[in-house]
Amino acid sequence: MAENIYKPHLAKVVEVKVETVDIKSYKFELLDPGVRKTFSWKAGQFLILDIFGVGETIFTFANPQTRNEFIECSIRKVGQVTEAIHELEAGAIVGIRGPYGNWFPFDKWQGKNLLYIAGGVGLAALRSPIEFALDTFKDFKKKTILYGARSPLDICYKDRFSDWEKVPDTEIILTADKGAEGWKHKVGFVPTVLKEVHLSPADSVAIICGPPIMIKFVLKELLDLGFTPEQIVTTLEMRMKCGLGKCGRCNVKNIYICKDGPVFTYAQLKELPDEY
Amino acid sequence: MAYLITKENIKNLLTDLIKLKAVFAPKKDAEDTVLFGKLSSSSEWHGDALLTHTTAKDKVYLQSETFFKIKRNKSGVTIEDGPEPEETVIFGCRPCDARGFDIIGKLFNWSNFVDEYYTKRIAKTTIICISCEKPESTCFCTSFTKGSPVNETGSDVLLTNIKDGKYLAESITDKGRKLIGDNSKYFTEASKADEEAKVTFKAEAEKKIAKKLDLAEVKRKLEPAFESVYWDTVHLPCVKCGACTFVCPTCYCFDITEKAFDNINSVRVRSWDTCMNELFTRMAGGVNPRTDTKKRFRQRFMHKFNYHVDNFKEELCTGCGRCIKACPVSIDIRKVIEEIR
Repeated sequence: MAENIYKPHLAKVVEVKVETVDIKSYKFELLDPGVRKTFSWKAGQFLILDIFGVGETIFTFANPQTRNEFIECSIRKVGQVTEAIHELEAGAIVGIRGPYGNWFPFDKWQGKNLLYIAGGVGLAALRSPIEFALDTFKDFKKKTILYGARSPLDICYKDRFSDWEKVPDTEIILTADKGAEGWKHKVGFVPTVLKEVHLSPADSVAIICGPPIMIKFVLKELLDLGFTPEQIVTTLEMRMKCGLGKCGRCNVKNIYICKDGPVFTYAQLKELPDEY
Repeated sequence: MAYLITKENIKNLLTDLIKLKAVFAPKKDAEDTVLFGKLSSSSEWHGDALLTHTTAKDKVYLQSETFFKIKRNKSGVTIEDGPEPEETVIFGCRPCDARGFDIIGKLFNWSNFVDEYYTKRIAKTTIICISCEKPESTCFCTSFTKGSPVNETGSDVLLTNIKDGKYLAESITDKGRKLIGDNSKYFTEASKADEEAKVTFKAEAEKKIAKKLDLAEVKRKLEPAFESVYWDTVHLPCVKCGACTFVCPTCYCFDITEKAFDNINSVRVRSWDTCMNELFTRMAGGVNPRTDTKKRFRQRFMHKFNYHVDNFKEELCTGCGRCIKACPVSIDIRKVIEEIR
């Protein structure tokens, strides 16, 4: 019989890093060397993290397959399980099952400009496709990252930006809803900044992730800029329990976000009822 | 191959089976409610009721199933599997219930993800089903392609009471053939006439089912009906109790939680859940795509008669009518889907 689909692999917390006041990044290492060798994923997929004694929750892989020494997640404290996760220290044992879902179709994006638009902890879901594109930068043209957070203090992955910018043809545009002293970047909401910087849709793909309200207005701006629905890609978040299309709660129409998603083009989403 | 078995020999068969396996059959509980209970004697089998209050679903798809035990201590974490399921017989369920197992079995094996808890348990379960002689006013199994008071889908053995006290016994699967082979002393070979008697039985029973829905038409109407104003009012009587999903032979949605006993021991548990519950889709942080009753009510009918048909080419319903009987405000599933506009 095949392995039990609900049983996690054991993993050890190797490193905990404080990103912002409510986001921490974790590095996990699978305990079983055999599993470590075969466990692989693609940018865009997600995993189920198991905090023994508390429960399971879904997170996207923060690191891409090109940087797979550890499994990394960036986690915002919002509920019972994430609170327990924020208590974890290096050495703690957790469970990991996955990977689940589909991935960003980079093979279709060869030779294109990539525009990443992220809001808040949404950057955690885009870090893996960003770093994947940076690691395989020769396959793509310009890589632009537009990232906004509530305040300069809420900016995640600050210390990664300088490395990202070293990659040829890479630009990072940062914005905060409200500025602060010493903030040298833009001030304003992501959709407004997007309008200002006026990126061309020619030969481009926009990859967006953030709070629903940001996505809504970013979509409008992108369409105004001339992006077609096929050129816009996002990753959806729904409540999930199994990750396998069985527990019945993450469906939009007959599509299960866990199994058929979470990555969708806006062209696909337009065909679905507004229930996500 | 068809056989005959007398009612008396059915009881003898049950007596023998009880010695070897866990046998569940319609049985009165302490409050005289007929439910699937574990028999300790064949006389406990209460065969008169057409439908038990709840289905036999929970004998295979447990209402609360321990996936595994978790132990956390200084040396690390150990995960201990639960016991293997025992040999089980479900006796005296109805074709609508048996077909429910066939339907949810496909879900538990969907897209190469095999749910071993369900799969192992159904593999060890033999289902002896009894055809319905007197369908009730809430029955509507004949609306479904495979539905009928004598349908064998999901059963291992199908018994049909063709003449007073004599049942035609048909083995449907290898498990069914084995059960009859192992207990051959209680069965005699059926004649052509006996098999033909089932045809008459079927016609008579089907005549008693007044309501037949055109489910292809229902699907056609549901497809464009997501934004219909129909949902604005049809849900209003609903009290969101979830009884409809609880008694359903095909509702399968579940939750996975952890039950911690102390700082060392916990168990991972899968429990039935219901789409009628507000928490079902609410995320940490509060975002919920199905905030109000209207959306959850719509989801239940869309799932059963539209989305599931897209994915599995059959409805997520067998027409048992239990949800109609269980509903405290008399919402009739037949009426809801028939009047969609």
